[in-house]
Amino acid sequence: MTEKQPPPVLSIHGLTKDFPGVRAIDDVSLSIESGTIHCLVGENGAGKSTLIKMLTGALLPTSGTMRINGSEYRPKNLQDARDAGIATLFQELHVVDELTVSENLTLGMERSRFGFLIKSDLDDRVIRTLKAIEPSIDPSARVSSLSVAQKQIIEIARAASSGANVIIMDEPTAALSEREVERLFGVIRRLRKEAVTVIFISHKLDEILQLGETVTVLRDGKHIATKLLKDIAGRSELIEMMIGRSVFQSYTPSTTVRKEAVLTAKGLTNKLLKDVSFHINRGEIVGFYGLVGAGKTEIARALFGADEVSGSILFKGQKIGRSPKDTIASGIALVPEERRTQGLFTEFTIRKNIPVMNLHRMSDRGIFRSLDEQTAAVDYVNQLSIATDSIDKHVKKLSGGNQQKVVLAKCLFSQADLLLLDEPTRGVDVGAKTEIYDIIRSLAGEGKSVAVFSSELEEVLGICDRIFLLYSGSLKSEIINNADVDVSHILNIVTGGEGVV
Amino acid sequence: MSVSTKAGRTVSRHRMSDGTFITLFVAVVAITLFLVASLLVPNFFQWLNLLNLVTNNWAVISLGVGVTFLLVSGNFDLSVGGNVALAGVLSVWFAQSTGGTNPLSIGIGLPYWFAILCALGGALMIGGLNALFVVRFRIPSIIVTLGTMLVARGIAQVITQGSQRNTNLPEEFGFLGNLTMFGTSIKFPVVFMTLLLLVAIFIERKMVFGRITFWLGSNPIAARLSGIDRSRHLTYLYLFSAAIAGIVGILLSSEFKSGYSNRGMLMEFDALVISLLGGVSIVGGFGSVVGMFFGAIILAIVTSAATGMVLSPDWQFTLKAITVFLAIVTQTWALARRNR
Amino acid sequence: MSIPSTLDQPVTTPGNRIAQFLRNYYIYFVLVAVILGLSAANLDSYGLFERGNFLYKKNIINILRVSAPLITLSGAFCLLMVSGYIDLSVGSAMSLSAVIYALLAINGVPFVLAFAITVVVGAGLGVINGFLVVRLKITPVIATLITLSFYKGIALLLVQDGVSAIKSGGGLKMPSWFNSYGREGVLLGLPMAFWIAVGVILVLVIAQNRTLLGKYAAATGGNPTAATLSGINTNRVVFLLYIIVGVTAALAGIARSSFMSLGDPLSGDGMELNAILVVLIGGTAFSGGEGRVLRSFIGALIIMALTVGMLTLVPAYFQTLVIGAALLTAAASNHLISRKESAS
Repeated sequence: MTEKQPPPVLSIHGLTKDFPGVRAIDDVSLSIESGTIHCLVGENGAGKSTLIKMLTGALLPTSGTMRINGSEYRPKNLQDARDAGIATLFQELHVVDELTVSENLTLGMERSRFGFLIKSDLDDRVIRTLKAIEPSIDPSARVSSLSVAQKQIIEIARAASSGANVIIMDEPTAALSEREVERLFGVIRRLRKEAVTVIFISHKLDEILQLGETVTVLRDGKHIATKLLKDIAGRSELIEMMIGRSVFQSYTPSTTVRKEAVLTAKGLTNKLLKDVSFHINRGEIVGFYGLVGAGKTEIARALFGADEVSGSILFKGQKIGRSPKDTIASGIALVPEERRTQGLFTEFTIRKNIPVMNLHRMSDRGIFRSLDEQTAAVDYVNQLSIATDSIDKHVKKLSGGNQQKVVLAKCLFSQADLLLLDEPTRGVDVGAKTEIYDIIRSLAGEGKSVAVFSSELEEVLGICDRIFLLYSGSLKSEIINNADVDVSHILNIVTGGEGVV
Repeated sequence: MSVSTKAGRTVSRHRMSDGTFITLFVAVVAITLFLVASLLVPNFFQWLNLLNLVTNNWAVISLGVGVTFLLVSGNFDLSVGGNVALAGVLSVWFAQSTGGTNPLSIGIGLPYWFAILCALGGALMIGGLNALFVVRFRIPSIIVTLGTMLVARGIAQVITQGSQRNTNLPEEFGFLGNLTMFGTSIKFPVVFMTLLLLVAIFIERKMVFGRITFWLGSNPIAARLSGIDRSRHLTYLYLFSAAIAGIVGILLSSEFKSGYSNRGMLMEFDALVISLLGGVSIVGGFGSVVGMFFGAIILAIVTSAATGMVLSPDWQFTLKAITVFLAIVTQTWALARRNR
Repeated sequence: MSIPSTLDQPVTTPGNRIAQFLRNYYIYFVLVAVILGLSAANLDSYGLFERGNFLYKKNIINILRVSAPLITLSGAFCLLMVSGYIDLSVGSAMSLSAVIYALLAINGVPFVLAFAITVVVGAGLGVINGFLVVRLKITPVIATLITLSFYKGIALLLVQDGVSAIKSGGGLKMPSWFNSYGREGVLLGLPMAFWIAVGVILVLVIAQNRTLLGKYAAATGGNPTAATLSGINTNRVVFLLYIIVGVTAALAGIARSSFMSLGDPLSGDGMELNAILVVLIGGTAFSGGEGRVLRSFIGALIIMALTVGMLTLVPAYFQTLVIGAALLTAAASNHLISRKESAS
């Protein structure tokens, strides 16, 4: 007769999350045992981040329940989650550089009398926790002298010593070197010894295979399987579970591509990128596909001149200037990743957002031609089907999809020959997505070249003629898009694999 | 006005922008205050008085143009007052003849027109210094322009040994500052201010330069990624503001036929005040010189009405503080309500 | 196996250690250099410790006496900047406090009561600043420029027309105890005002290193998001710091008016400039998080030594230029230094 098992530290029953028009999480149930390293994998759009957001109180589930150690768990915000013992490691580091390690570890939790900090067992406890998971960090060191990887460990130690028994790590190795990843794994394993549960989300399957004990696979918002990693044969099994038998948007072979390179990049290298080389043809739509931290945005920005990079870039056969101003003048335009903070002037109207990239077209010896501005705005509103009743509507009032179209209009206005689109349909509703794809195709039809940087496989497979596969800053492989494309091969490459599965 | 489109949608202009709203708001406040002041202060309600409110403040309003443009771009320019003093002192010193009895009457002896050109050059150098420190060294503009204000005034003080230079000047020195135009008693400086305002309004509304200023102040990141050259544009702005300050300084020293190192004291503060009163936002991307103009009228009404009500000039500091405070609070409230 | 990464902990090379040492102690070098420079200036005419030269005992005492207001202000101003906020009204708050203190004294209010009331007023001025910045969310620069004007205006209004300051005359007489606080030597020839100033610095140094306020100020300035996520009430921290600045402004005003035996509504003019110079020299960052009270104290000594030294060595009309150039140089070097650190 077995004694009663303790309840799982975290269990989910029938969790569902609906957004207008889409069901992001569909009846997911799973349980996570205490003190384990539980990995969560899935393709982009599989629902990983939505699930995590519900776990941490950032989103409320449409239906379903969650339990922590058997008791009902309904967080309404991050604080509720923390109170319940769930801590999350974010991409942005929340450490104070100017304080020491131990000061950061005790921040907000200090014991004090009349405002004076008094030494308490908290100080010893946090240092002990730190030493237990990563003994090489000096508690009296200033955090500003630590590397990013070490700061990440500080956050983990903080979470662990503040009583968290579940730490969620979302793509924590995105910016780490190999050795730092090793060290992080050591930390995570030691956390396990301290009875802390780690939920580890990553697309780097090798890491999952190396580190994890249990893995849950999500696909299209559904729970596919939860298995012990020792019961899994290898990458191929994981990949098979991740892709299933999804139907991809059909790709029509392009008739617009010409055998003439409009852009040639050789040996692009910077902090993240490692010797990236490729070329783009006239009239072609190329895709840069990879998961988090693969280097998509870095390549886009490097081409645009927004970031520094070593290596050579030839556009229309010539070297071009390395600043946005120069590249725009040469005929390249970028739709940035974050439209609100990087792409738009949200306090201005649609019409006032459009002309900025091509002032010559709109002005005469420095004087603006308002009528032309108005005509241009009206034209783009129609051409791109921007849903608004006036070109004088403030951009911040538009929906995500329409905002993205305004950014597109801005870039189209520059009459660029090469358009770089960084996550062009992120946060955009399905209808607008299709419209944007049509716009991209018609641009290629006009002889322009488009580079789509995306983490959505369906998207790149739907419209791109050629796809570059990225992993960890390197361009691993290039495939020509057609009906027989091997999706599992693609997924293998972008999750760190080599060669054919 | 609406334009029918292929899809049958109407693209129409149906609402004034927030910027126009605030400018109108300020204008209405200005007019209301004028009427209120007319009730409280005897003899206030006169055409001449209203005109004087503007003409007496031609210097600060002119400086306000440069300050407003810089605020819209998201930066301060506190150096204008010091630059006024510097340009004025330089114009005197350069024009003073080389023979003289005491050190303060000996100058460089340049022909008048050349002297004021060089004085303008000196003012532009201060503007260049501003641009250098703000753009190249990336130091907060409030600190930089505070420093250059002191440097400019400091140089003026050194040249005048702390007081002023007013001797040994050529005949034509007092010409520009006291020139009356169009057969009326309107002086040239006032005409200058008016022209400057008209040019500024034109730039603001109709020229690419004005539009870039707004884009830059509204979202510097998006501006860069849209190809706007922040370094170059800010340099132009600081030179523009410095040029205005230079001309104001030259005209003032011409009017008083002296280069006084204390001239323009606190004018940078007043220029900032009238811009804020006029609804120019400190965060950038919002505001108009028209608003600044009405802001100047508001300030003038408040201060002159106070004097009219026999309040001593010491009241000006408190009054300015309260007025700016009320302006910021009411403008924020009005905008919030409008956009709810 | 994996290749050892060089992205890890910084190697403490001898070069690195020297840089670290310089960063922490450079200000003492500057102080010594300034003292030596000023002493050497008149060495040909006067002996090193004789009258007429910088290190003359009475000169040092005088400089320290006059430094009391700036010293008092510097620590709190620094701490406020560490939290990422600024107060440009300190000069006017100081003037207003000076006027109120003198007004109370000349109307017969005894020392302790006048002192206490003025300090409370200073706290009140800080509350107003805190309210504008924290509650109404007006940008600190504009908010404190408004209060700068407002406090200055009130100070001017409290002084009757025709008189430039609150002082003996017209039937009222300043009590005899009035200037002992700021002038009369009680220890080592230095007055109470100086020792209180030093005391304030000591308290603030302890506060910075050993209290929640000090730590939370650094957190608020260094990474406001992290601070809030850690449960720190950053609004309360900043509000409290504004009040402390107000209190030190009051103390500075008391010291100044006691020293001059009058309440001058313009006595604090330019103090905010001095305070900015002090914190720049002391290595405080405008963006917040970085700054030490002790170094600001040394910075205050340096500025005062230079100011007084300048009075004798340089004609009065050069001084504005020197201050402006000093401000620009200090700002430029401050920025270059902090940029270099963040690049590592």
